[in-house]
Amino acid sequence: MKKTRTLGLLALLAVLLAFPLLFSDPAVTTIAIFTLLYAGATTAWNLFSGYTGYVSLGHAVFYGVGGYALALLCKDWNIQGGYVPFLLLPLVGLIASVFAIPLGWIALRSSRHVFVVITIAMFYIFQLLAYNLPGITNGSAGIFLPSPPWDAGFFNTPFYYVSLTVLLLSVGVSWWVRNSKYGLGLLAIRDDEDRALSLGVKTGVYKLVAYVISAFFVGMIGALVGYFIGSLYPPFAFTPVFDITVALMAFLGGVGTLAGPLVGALLLAPLQQYLTVQLEIVGLDLILFGALLLAVILLLPEGIVPTLRRWVKWTASRSARTGPRTDIKGKEEALLVKGGREGKR
Amino acid sequence: MVGPRRQTSGSHGQEGVPVTLIIEAVILGILTGSVYALMSSGLTLIFGVMDIINIAQGILVILGAYLSYTLEKYLHIDIMLGLLVTIPTLFLLGMGIEWAFMRRIRRDRVMISILVTFAVALVIEGLLNFIFTANYVQLQAPYVDATIPVFGFYLPYIYVFAFILSVVLLTLLYFLVYRTKFGFGLRASMQDRTAAALIGIDVERVQTITFGIGVALAAAGGMVFGATSPFNAATSYDLISRLLVIIVLGGMGSLRGALFASIGMLIISDVTDVVWSPVWASTVFFALLIVLLLFRPRGLYGRLEGRKQ
Amino acid sequence: MVRSTVAISKLFSACIVIVLMLTILEACSSSSTTNNSTQAGPIVIGASIANSGDFSADGKPTEQGYQLWADTINKQGGLLGRQVRLDLVNDNSTPEGVTTAYQKLINVDHVNLVVGPFADLTAVAAAKVAARSGYALVEGSGTAVAVFQQGLDNIFSVSLSAKNYMVSFAEYILSLPAGQRPKTAAYATQDDPFLIPQLDGARALLEHGGIKTVAYLKYPAETSDYTPYAQRVIASGADLVLLGTFTPDSIAYVKAFKQQHYNPKAIIAASGPDQGSQFTGPLGGTKVAEGIFVPNGGWFAGISTYQNDQFQRDYIAKFGGTAADISSDTVQAYSVMQVLTQAVNKIHSIDNAKLKQELHSDAFDTLQGPVKFAPDGENTTAVAFLFQWQNGNLIPVYPQNHAQANPEYPKAQWPSS
Repeated sequence: MKKTRTLGLLALLAVLLAFPLLFSDPAVTTIAIFTLLYAGATTAWNLFSGYTGYVSLGHAVFYGVGGYALALLCKDWNIQGGYVPFLLLPLVGLIASVFAIPLGWIALRSSRHVFVVITIAMFYIFQLLAYNLPGITNGSAGIFLPSPPWDAGFFNTPFYYVSLTVLLLSVGVSWWVRNSKYGLGLLAIRDDEDRALSLGVKTGVYKLVAYVISAFFVGMIGALVGYFIGSLYPPFAFTPVFDITVALMAFLGGVGTLAGPLVGALLLAPLQQYLTVQLEIVGLDLILFGALLLAVILLLPEGIVPTLRRWVKWTASRSARTGPRTDIKGKEEALLVKGGREGKR
Repeated sequence: MVGPRRQTSGSHGQEGVPVTLIIEAVILGILTGSVYALMSSGLTLIFGVMDIINIAQGILVILGAYLSYTLEKYLHIDIMLGLLVTIPTLFLLGMGIEWAFMRRIRRDRVMISILVTFAVALVIEGLLNFIFTANYVQLQAPYVDATIPVFGFYLPYIYVFAFILSVVLLTLLYFLVYRTKFGFGLRASMQDRTAAALIGIDVERVQTITFGIGVALAAAGGMVFGATSPFNAATSYDLISRLLVIIVLGGMGSLRGALFASIGMLIISDVTDVVWSPVWASTVFFALLIVLLLFRPRGLYGRLEGRKQ
Repeated sequence: MVRSTVAISKLFSACIVIVLMLTILEACSSSSTTNNSTQAGPIVIGASIANSGDFSADGKPTEQGYQLWADTINKQGGLLGRQVRLDLVNDNSTPEGVTTAYQKLINVDHVNLVVGPFADLTAVAAAKVAARSGYALVEGSGTAVAVFQQGLDNIFSVSLSAKNYMVSFAEYILSLPAGQRPKTAAYATQDDPFLIPQLDGARALLEHGGIKTVAYLKYPAETSDYTPYAQRVIASGADLVLLGTFTPDSIAYVKAFKQQHYNPKAIIAASGPDQGSQFTGPLGGTKVAEGIFVPNGGWFAGISTYQNDQFQRDYIAKFGGTAADISSDTVQAYSVMQVLTQAVNKIHSIDNAKLKQELHSDAFDTLQGPVKFAPDGENTTAVAFLFQWQNGNLIPVYPQNHAQANPEYPKAQWPSS
């Protein structure tokens, strides 16, 4: 069985690698790039919020910090457009992580509810700082990144592969954490923090580390988006839409799982891009998005991946036995499990 | 290009900020603070009873403002009288939202409630954009512009009316929560949902009604907000972020906290506007939250952690 | 057992997702693979419109401008003998949306020409996408200073540059006899790349002319309560007030000034007073607006500029209302198309490389006046008009050849409500 799984994943990887060669249309690869970037961001967000249960709605801070960091580095070190800015990405990620340490330390001292609001407040503070420190960020006039000299047909390709690399790294780290003792600790924090603490899990440190790691990736992604578009302005670098989108994708796919964020991003990102461009009626995009979100949450409260998984498990177990439990499925089964929450996923 | 000049405070040169400006800022802070108290009371109440962070509160305030606007513009109903229509309407809407969406959330309330309320907010925002477009509007009434001279500046009547309205409604709310049977059920549900159910309180009914009340307060807040500032659907974002900060500062679930936090924050914000700079006032608003939480993680009047279910 | 089900479900979901994604992409591409390179077919001009997002209020008027021009030119036989078709997509008012939009227009729809999105914040993103494919981008609303500093040679802004908007006002003030001239000025502006240059441009002139700056405030764009800023301005007691505002803040300031009985000798607001009833309505009537100045990019109803008569007639025939209802967004969009038409006709070609050359070297005429592009894309011949509310009407008071009355100065006291 393990062989099937590995083969399947390899096939997936092959498709992803070959994608720009199969679909060379820049409009399609643009959507693909945004999808990959959002998938990476959602996985990183999930690594913190999904595993620990602390919902962060302020990750856009690192998104913006990453973007501005890259722009400023290119400006100060006189870097031209091309491949070199890509090499700066790890440094940018590190810068975002450094920001994450004090921010995370402050925010994580509070309860879950308060944490959400603190992340929102921090987000607004950074947006305002971006506006009000024109010496650094050039304020509302925006800051611009160097333009790579590649022609239209080729332009998206390097971005695609770099985004794919970042995504794979993000997923890799997420997978590694998930299967490690550290990850167990995080999930324990999510399920019952006090108990985890009493069992010897260093909750404070664990949470902070997860926060910093997720910031690392989100920073890199923010830089990539900025470099791809070519310009950065405070309201777009620090945009509330980022967090909401990422959270939505994670929830749609299944927050706390490994594949969930990917599924969510793969579904929503192209849909979002497509809808945006096609829709003509004012306000319709919001209504549709909101309605979709509501439908998903109410009908699939756990997200796609866990629901699918449970369905597959149910059909598999159903064929294996004919006991009275065959009529129980889905949500009801979840409720039967202790505390209304599923155990380890 | 001329470089940025240091700000001077007008005709008083380098002496510093004139005291009248500061007094003005404090008075304005109290008055607008009462409006924010109205809007945030609903938010904190909903959280206290249901553990739900109602992100839609911002857009519901705007909805209330648009309702008042429509009544005033097309039916020529005075905005104050219009409250008799908008408050019950939003009360029913709130109950409807709770019944339709919130009830279904059985677990993981923090995470999912944020998303659900945000989704509801998106839909309402889209509808408002569609019906009213993104053009800015403001509520009109003869007393919106008229002013009364006070302490060397002119105080618009509408602020005074807003203050009185807020005081009246908040007093009514206080009465409801602390002196009625329903209020008893509400406070019991806040403390311990299971125990409340065990002593015979219909917790679900309490929750539905509380949500309705929270949204009804938004209607009132909306009318006042709409009379004092031009607004459109997008104004809700700035609003909800401030409301969230206020209820966290005051302690989530505490009405008293919402009141003091609103007034306190608005005073500080307005004074900073005047004494330091407008661009930093907003930053101070949010930064203050963080500073306070460093020293007092549960806010001014927040309950101790560990609400048992 | 559990692991395999986990694996299967993961694979399953991944497969579903990929299939779905491919289907969506397939639908995207196949629905719009129109071949526009044939000589005899229609000329397709692409643009992104802000149908959603922050600029959605400007989306429809812009679209109307483009559409009106297309109808007009098609009635006259088309461009270079070919009918014109517009390909309009939504951009959500964000640089991300604009990037996707222009990628689609250029690479999927293969439009022949592109024109610009609305707004300064997105013009650069659009220009960069267009530049990669060698397309010229003529646009009507990206006039902030930063737009021209990016080293882009394919962006052509037909409208008045942001930094010149209030120049006429400053010159008027400085032309007043010394006894009447204001001594002090207060500046308050939203933190926006379109508004700040306007105020700074005027301030440079006014300070040079001896008018002291007693207050200079910048406030965040996402504000909902402007009262404290208005108080600051009022407290400064300045003779002259220059406001870098959009509509909601301009209303808030004027209201606050009126409430506090603050009467500066002149007030100018970057925009807001030019929004007709949207401005005067919340203020409580046109009487309140008396004396307030607003700059203008060179067009007003009835002006005798290039093709304006026909434009106004066509607009009213198609959309109804009166000429006074025409939004400046529509005028800008139409002007963009006028320039494009003239350039294409001059070189008898829609080749973008030749078009860029022509746009850089020649001069053009539009509803908003004459256009000549500097190497960085700015329009160097645009003149800043000055408008003022007088007796319930917004009328031009500068330049002389278009003025309907002399400017009113000093400003009358606020009417008692």
